[in-house]
Amino acid sequence: MRLPRFEYVKASTTGEALAALQAGDGQTRILAGGTDLLVNMKYRIERPATVIGIRTIDELCSVTTGSDGSLHLGAGVTLSSLAENSLIKESCPGLGRAITAVGSKHIRNMGTIGGNACLNTRCWYYNQSQLWRDAREVCRKAGGNVCHAINGSERCHAINSSDTAPMLVALDAEMVIQNREGERRVLAREFYRNDGVRYNALEPEEMLSRIEIPRGNTERRTAFIKICSRRGLDFAMANIGAAVSVKAGRCSQVRIVIGAIASHPLILEKTAAVVEEGGLSEGGMEQAADTARTELGTLTNLFSSAGYKRQLAQVLVKRVLQELKGSSRNKRRAGK
Amino acid sequence: MARKSNPYSVIGRRQPKLDAPLKATGRSVFSDDVYLPGMLHGKILRSTIPRGKILNIDTSQAMRLPGVKAVITHKDSGGIMAGPDQQVLCDDQVCYVGDEVAAVAAIDEDTAIEAAELIKVEYEPMQAVLTIEEAVAKGAPVLHQYFEDNYADEKDLKFGDTEKTFDESDHIRTDEFTINPTHNCFAELHLALVDYSMPDKLTIWTPNQTAILIQQSMATSLGISQSKVRVCSLNTGGAFSGRGTVRPHHLIAALLSRKAARPVKIMADADEEFIICRSGGRDKIVLKTGVKNDGTLKVIEADFMHDCGAYVETQFIIMTIVSANLQMLFKLEAMRYRGRLVYTNNAPCFFHHGGGIVPAQFALGQHLHCVAHDLGIDPVDFYLHNAVGKGHTTLSKTYYASCGLKECIQKTAKKSGWKKKYGKLQPYRGIGIGCGVMSSGGKGMFQHDTSAAFLKIDEDGRLSLFTGLPDMGQGSHTTMAMIAAETLGISAEDITVVSGDTDIAPFDVGAFSQRGTFTTGNAVRAACRDAKKQLEKTASQKLDVKPSLLVFKDNKVYPRGFPEKAISFEDIVFDTLHSQEGRYVMGRGFYNSPTQKPALAYSFGAQIAEVEVDPETGIVRLLRMTVAHDVGRAINPLAVEGQMDGQVFSGMGQTLFEERLVENGQVLNPSMAGYKNPRPFEVPEIEHIIVETIDPYGPYGAKEVGEGPIACVPHAVANAVSSAVGYCFRELPLTPERVLEAIRKKNRQQ
Repeated sequence: MRLPRFEYVKASTTGEALAALQAGDGQTRILAGGTDLLVNMKYRIERPATVIGIRTIDELCSVTTGSDGSLHLGAGVTLSSLAENSLIKESCPGLGRAITAVGSKHIRNMGTIGGNACLNTRCWYYNQSQLWRDAREVCRKAGGNVCHAINGSERCHAINSSDTAPMLVALDAEMVIQNREGERRVLAREFYRNDGVRYNALEPEEMLSRIEIPRGNTERRTAFIKICSRRGLDFAMANIGAAVSVKAGRCSQVRIVIGAIASHPLILEKTAAVVEEGGLSEGGMEQAADTARTELGTLTNLFSSAGYKRQLAQVLVKRVLQELKGSSRNKRRAGK
Repeated sequence: MARKSNPYSVIGRRQPKLDAPLKATGRSVFSDDVYLPGMLHGKILRSTIPRGKILNIDTSQAMRLPGVKAVITHKDSGGIMAGPDQQVLCDDQVCYVGDEVAAVAAIDEDTAIEAAELIKVEYEPMQAVLTIEEAVAKGAPVLHQYFEDNYADEKDLKFGDTEKTFDESDHIRTDEFTINPTHNCFAELHLALVDYSMPDKLTIWTPNQTAILIQQSMATSLGISQSKVRVCSLNTGGAFSGRGTVRPHHLIAALLSRKAARPVKIMADADEEFIICRSGGRDKIVLKTGVKNDGTLKVIEADFMHDCGAYVETQFIIMTIVSANLQMLFKLEAMRYRGRLVYTNNAPCFFHHGGGIVPAQFALGQHLHCVAHDLGIDPVDFYLHNAVGKGHTTLSKTYYASCGLKECIQKTAKKSGWKKKYGKLQPYRGIGIGCGVMSSGGKGMFQHDTSAAFLKIDEDGRLSLFTGLPDMGQGSHTTMAMIAAETLGISAEDITVVSGDTDIAPFDVGAFSQRGTFTTGNAVRAACRDAKKQLEKTASQKLDVKPSLLVFKDNKVYPRGFPEKAISFEDIVFDTLHSQEGRYVMGRGFYNSPTQKPALAYSFGAQIAEVEVDPETGIVRLLRMTVAHDVGRAINPLAVEGQMDGQVFSGMGQTLFEERLVENGQVLNPSMAGYKNPRPFEVPEIEHIIVETIDPYGPYGAKEVGEGPIACVPHAVANAVSSAVGYCFRELPLTPERVLEAIRKKNRQQ
């Protein structure tokens, strides 16, 4: 497949990129690794007039530690380099697992954390060629008024398949968003929206510049699991990110987030409450998994049946809790 | 593995493919690597509705776009057929989403895409028929005007007295199976580069598995003589029975080239590939079997329906293969087969790798597994009890001059530790056996099944071998070189195989029906013997012995028993030319199986699969395959093992992973991300067992390994999953959702 024609702007500072974004009048897209955007452009589902390259902006490509011990991930850092990052491995191994679960080594070499966090939602009826889409009524995601995934639905049900998104939500990460006026911070849990069209909080003239992961206490345990029918190089049928603080057998600050089955990562609050109540006992974990099944709300038959998605969610909750139970405490080095 | 003593110096050696260095270093040339001066790029505009009338096609805007050199519609292609029921470009009606409506040729691909988008087509939609059930229902719209109903073809076969044998059976079982559509996933996309700039010669570069059939049908369709069509075959990225016929894109490229008077290349987009590839269609199979309590099979009855989509070409092969398969593995007293091809408004379907054998073998395997289970008999004992053997004649009067089926079953059972594992594995682990049979050669589908070969030997003793047999990666050219090398007592590396140009190569029906090694191999051997005779004349004079006492071995010629008197092969060739007679050594040979049956030789196989099922997600992992195949003789054991590995991979994909999801005639998952074909991560541990039965008709005793092993894979893998979860599967593929559903049904039964 061929790329459509577009103008390319190579930005060397964040300011240049933001200026180009604003000038683009909504017809401009940020190109980081291109592993999502370029594929969509080849399908002609994105036809930006201008594409802004940000790979040469140094400030977007660094990992630093904040004064409060939080981890600052530049949006342009490649997934490969984050996979090797010792700070992530030590303080939130679950995020490390989510990062290495993305695509293949080649894709992680190109793809960035910002790109994966902002991954476009996907649908059988949207991610298709022009010819394919011409055979059906224009769907909501393509600017029309129908949803082919759920007939009569008032919103778009395209699925957010990002592997890092559920983990970022579970970690209470903050997304730092910039435009020409300045920056604003949005919690990851508010960044993602249950709408396949407006799937995140970014406005057309804004870009994600940084993701901040709070330090967490020394009792924090994190885990991530992804299920696909093939052993690698595949989008998840479902994935899960979880974080919990375990102290003297008690669980607190429980975050359990299911991804890749809805338009946004699903935060399982009732399930989390069950874990805070019942802890990581066998019975408690079973009860939490059962709760998860009922907590998911309406699901589509996109990519797999709603019933199968529910089953996977239940299994994932059980497995992630078992992993959290077995995982050792954070091995955060003294003084850091 | 231990092998019997090998009397040959080239045959039976593990010979790396002669073209491996080129492939490994990226120097191999494929059709898309060819760029001709002035070449244009073509693009096809396809129907967006499954069925309807074309009211109007407006090409005016497309023609005005700068860079566009030709636009064609049915007005330019009128009367030219791409198949028995298909026009090259739709006339007044479209029959599926993707049907060819118009085409453009432009100076580059971007311009061609833009121009195609500028063509406006007005349709009047008609009621579409999208399933087998809808197509055969009373009052269904008839999709092709020359037919009275939607059955494109029917076959009804009966051997023996089925009613009587069912009456005599102790146990009768009936199962119904559904096989969902698949896609071949060719590594190389569909492509045609045609130079028809001048009306006196048409040259086409296209990946194919039979240049001669492409040549014949291009000539027939365009109404020109065969020798005016030159087919150039470079390397081919996968064929799997899907590159043997002319498709609309070949003819469209030709028509565009003629109109623009410039060469035109058309290459399918990755998702277009899923529409035009003509992979596996949906099948329905009902099997009914009668058996005695001691496990003796008496009778099998089958009803088979295949959704062939909007158009047919050679789908009747599927019916032949499915029907043949039912009575070729096991001894039976009677058999009844009813097969029907059904027209729908889906994309035309042909078959996936294995020529229809995978659906048939999945159904037969699950069915017989259940029959054995009903009787409380171990499947290995059941198959051994009923297996055909050497000297057996099937109900359809096919005679087996060699047969290693029992040996394959016994060896796989022993190697895999069947007795220790069957029924004794931990929960959700399973072991299953599958058997298969395959013909070597395709006579019966064509009147003749001929291969010809010729060769020349140059002064330095090096040989050029000319063949029309393509090498699509299976290593056929290396095999041919090995047969030639053995016959002339030289080494395979001294041979250049010349192929891939119908202006040069001799006649050869092509690389399908597992005919390469057997049929072309015999032709090559005959050509080498012809050349050898010419060399023997010189050698016998020089060595003063009778020609019959000469030995050609290790690049030398010597009297039998006197290797110290050897003269080099090169010297014999040199002397033959540099004599008063001045004889230049050229050999010629051909082979056409003397039988009227589909083939003279049949190969057999057995495989045992071991799987692990995740009972919470339904995900199946194929852990180990033990593969035995009776190849007659392994010309190149390395290539035999490669064929086994490739077919285990493909068969596993079709059994566990691959499903082309279709809704309203549209493929929902036309991409390598959406279509879940397996990846190298999924390859199981594979144990190879080569069984050699030395066939009396094959070259050096060889039969086939081109599609035989895949016949066993769905049989073995599905049976293993079935054992693991205690459930008989009736729908392919065994996706996680279906396996999980089976586990739930099983649990509810308990």
